[in-house]
Amino acid sequence: MGNTQASGYHKILLDINLTTGEIKRTQIPQKDIEHFIGGRGLGMKILWDRLQKPGIDALSPENPLMFMPGPFSGFPIPSASRTVVVTKSPCTSPETSPYPQASTVSYSNMGGFLGPEIRFAGYDGIVISGKAATPSYIVIEDDRVEIRDAKAFWGMKTDAFDKILIKELNNQRFQTCYIGPAGENLVSYACILHTTARAAGRGVGAVMGSKNLKAIAVKGTGMPNVADLEAFNKSLSDVRSVFKGLTGGLLTGFWRKAGTAAALQMLSDDGLMAVKNYREGTFAEIDKINAKVAREKAWVRDFACYCCCLACKKSGAIKDGQYKTIVHDGPEYETGTMFGANLMISDFNGLMKSIYDGDDLGMDIISAGNVMGFLMEAREKGYVTQSDLDGIDLSWGNVDAVLSMLDKISRRDGIGDLAANGVKATSKQVGRDSEKFAIHVKGLELAAHNIHANPPRALCYATSNRGACHLSGDNIAHQNFVAAVDSLGLCLFASDHNKWMMPGISSKKMADLLTSITGVEYDRDKFMEAGERVFNLEKMFNLREGFTRADDWLPDRFFAEPFTMGPEKGAKLDRKEFTEMMDKFYTEREWDPKTTRPADEKLEQLGLGFTI
Amino acid sequence: MKEKTPGEKNQRPSALDGKPLSRREFISRVAVGGGAFVLLSGCSRWVLPGPDDKARERIYEYIAVDYTKCTGCRTCEVVCSAFNNPVSLDGQMMPGPGNPALSNIYVHSFNPDVSAPAVCARCADTPCVNVCPVDPDPVTGRRALFRNEKYGTIANDPDRCISCGSCADACRAESVGILAPHPETGRPMRMCTLCDGDPQCVSACPYNALSLIRITSDQPYYRMSPEEVAKELSKRWYDLSA
Repeated sequence: MGNTQASGYHKILLDINLTTGEIKRTQIPQKDIEHFIGGRGLGMKILWDRLQKPGIDALSPENPLMFMPGPFSGFPIPSASRTVVVTKSPCTSPETSPYPQASTVSYSNMGGFLGPEIRFAGYDGIVISGKAATPSYIVIEDDRVEIRDAKAFWGMKTDAFDKILIKELNNQRFQTCYIGPAGENLVSYACILHTTARAAGRGVGAVMGSKNLKAIAVKGTGMPNVADLEAFNKSLSDVRSVFKGLTGGLLTGFWRKAGTAAALQMLSDDGLMAVKNYREGTFAEIDKINAKVAREKAWVRDFACYCCCLACKKSGAIKDGQYKTIVHDGPEYETGTMFGANLMISDFNGLMKSIYDGDDLGMDIISAGNVMGFLMEAREKGYVTQSDLDGIDLSWGNVDAVLSMLDKISRRDGIGDLAANGVKATSKQVGRDSEKFAIHVKGLELAAHNIHANPPRALCYATSNRGACHLSGDNIAHQNFVAAVDSLGLCLFASDHNKWMMPGISSKKMADLLTSITGVEYDRDKFMEAGERVFNLEKMFNLREGFTRADDWLPDRFFAEPFTMGPEKGAKLDRKEFTEMMDKFYTEREWDPKTTRPADEKLEQLGLGFTI
Repeated sequence: MKEKTPGEKNQRPSALDGKPLSRREFISRVAVGGGAFVLLSGCSRWVLPGPDDKARERIYEYIAVDYTKCTGCRTCEVVCSAFNNPVSLDGQMMPGPGNPALSNIYVHSFNPDVSAPAVCARCADTPCVNVCPVDPDPVTGRRALFRNEKYGTIANDPDRCISCGSCADACRAESVGILAPHPETGRPMRMCTLCDGDPQCVSACPYNALSLIRITSDQPYYRMSPEEVAKELSKRWYDLSA
């Protein structure tokens, strides 16, 4: 059991080709491990290696779908629970490109227990390519890997499937992930779910569906070895102490109390929330759907991911009204905003039900809420009629209409077939000047953070390598830091990225842990440089696909339509200031401001010469 | 997978340290009932005063779970594993890396969200020991599986164990169901050691959901399987159909 090499890695990828049924164990080169660490970084390197030419269709068998834990995964480091799903995005597209199927990288980061379990089973990642002839699922139990028939499960929603799958496996200790009807029907923003509510979104579920793959189940008994156990134990108790005592109590207390839902009230109060399809930054009725209401009306218990002290996940139940008896998490910041404030929904139980349905169907709630917000606005403005919408009354705040739309999108039925392609494609079909309020970057829908009054976040959305992403970092240092953290298997929320507000694990401590685990000397700078390397590799991938500076673009709304209410009333982005900020960003990154291409010297310096 | 042997590890002072009891003494005290508790625990009867005669039958030291606090993070598993599977490095013993598969406490998670850590209840009537088919040693009176007198933990003698799996079956039938045959050797594993009197899971739980307390046999959830616990909690927390 385990391996004899004290390196912190198994150095093995589980390589499954669903077309041929071939199951291989592929060695990972030591250089790739040192350069790209794991998780998002190592996934990007494999994506670059396996997709040797641009323009490959993201939903084709060639596109690899990767489940990537990091070197922290499987070790009892607080909040080292994340799995990054890396693939080529089915959501994004450039303005112009020689390749019709061009798209960006995609990575989505999911909490829970899957990443550690992949490492217990003896792998540093799972790479799935090809396409199964019929619906299938994969069962991994240490060395035993089986591709099984999933025909009986195809079409099942995720909540029911989660319960049935664990019975089928007959062992509660399996960790599973799966798609719902949305993924099966190739809704471009379908999710992969784990424990029915933890999700890898941003389109990775459509890629899984395109492979006829319903689920993956993993269970393992091993563990990678530690290079220096004494130093590791010392660093570990050091890191554990971050979450104890006075300052640690502040951090853990914040997350335990309300999870990300705490931000519902805060960001609305600050004018930073996506409201009414990003038209406003403050929701007048936020006090009907905020964390306080959720705690009173729904939340039952707090739950945590592997070895996490924060417990930001809440479980709850709808206790009255027509949706009574539904059991689900209830609003987080993203779900509560995108299905709440952004659609002007203030009926708390209706919001809970929408979130339950979104997860149950296996859909990215960020994108689904964004697309429905767009259609509500288009209907209000008369760009589409109720009959265009198959008779669904998509007016602001209408929960029943949202539930009908979710069902139609997941089945690609009628108007749902169009909406399932994302807001960019929907806006193209709706036509006129609707692109001004189709809120996406590169085809990926913006998340629940509004930007009229937040220029750094605007830069984050515009320059993120997977399309509009609120978590990619608001400046260069932050972007590099996030890319490095995403490569460890560690949760960003447990890091000190928000240290002016909350304490957390510092990059110095991360580097210490990484050194003790791998035996390779990392200091803070080397760790951050790895993040920079990952970010630049992603950029090179996108450039190869034909993305240009014109794609680092933001919808007109943020420049043209100031907020009409709230503390940031009158706020909008200034086009000149934004352009200057972007110029400065490219220059400081040593990217050509015209083409956004990293300088060759920069690439060489980062060890990315192979991309030139 | 490594296997644990009932070796005594680094001795540390503990609230539980006291005069060791022989098995005979132990059993006789069980029979005496309430009196045994006083002898075992000194003066802490006030901790959980028994409401009636039944409750006073027998008091146990037990790692109790407050299910309203448990978040299912599995920190208990990793600290249990690290302590009970130490690694020798340059002659120095130190906690292992914490592989949860080697833990004696096992967190079971369910849908709807319920996390139920399962841990050896150290049952007074030891159904696992009773079914052990190995003849008792004429000197010690021990079968292959036996109760270790010091902390009342259950231990296995790998040299005498015949890997029949009866103990795990008995545990599943009559108690928590935590005992399991080792996948390779077939010998029982996951008997709680109480970590030499200082259970690591209790002190490391980030949510203070675990405690080593003295309880009475009618303690709610005592000796229930995680599935039964989950069923009951699920009903209590989420079932609003009634």
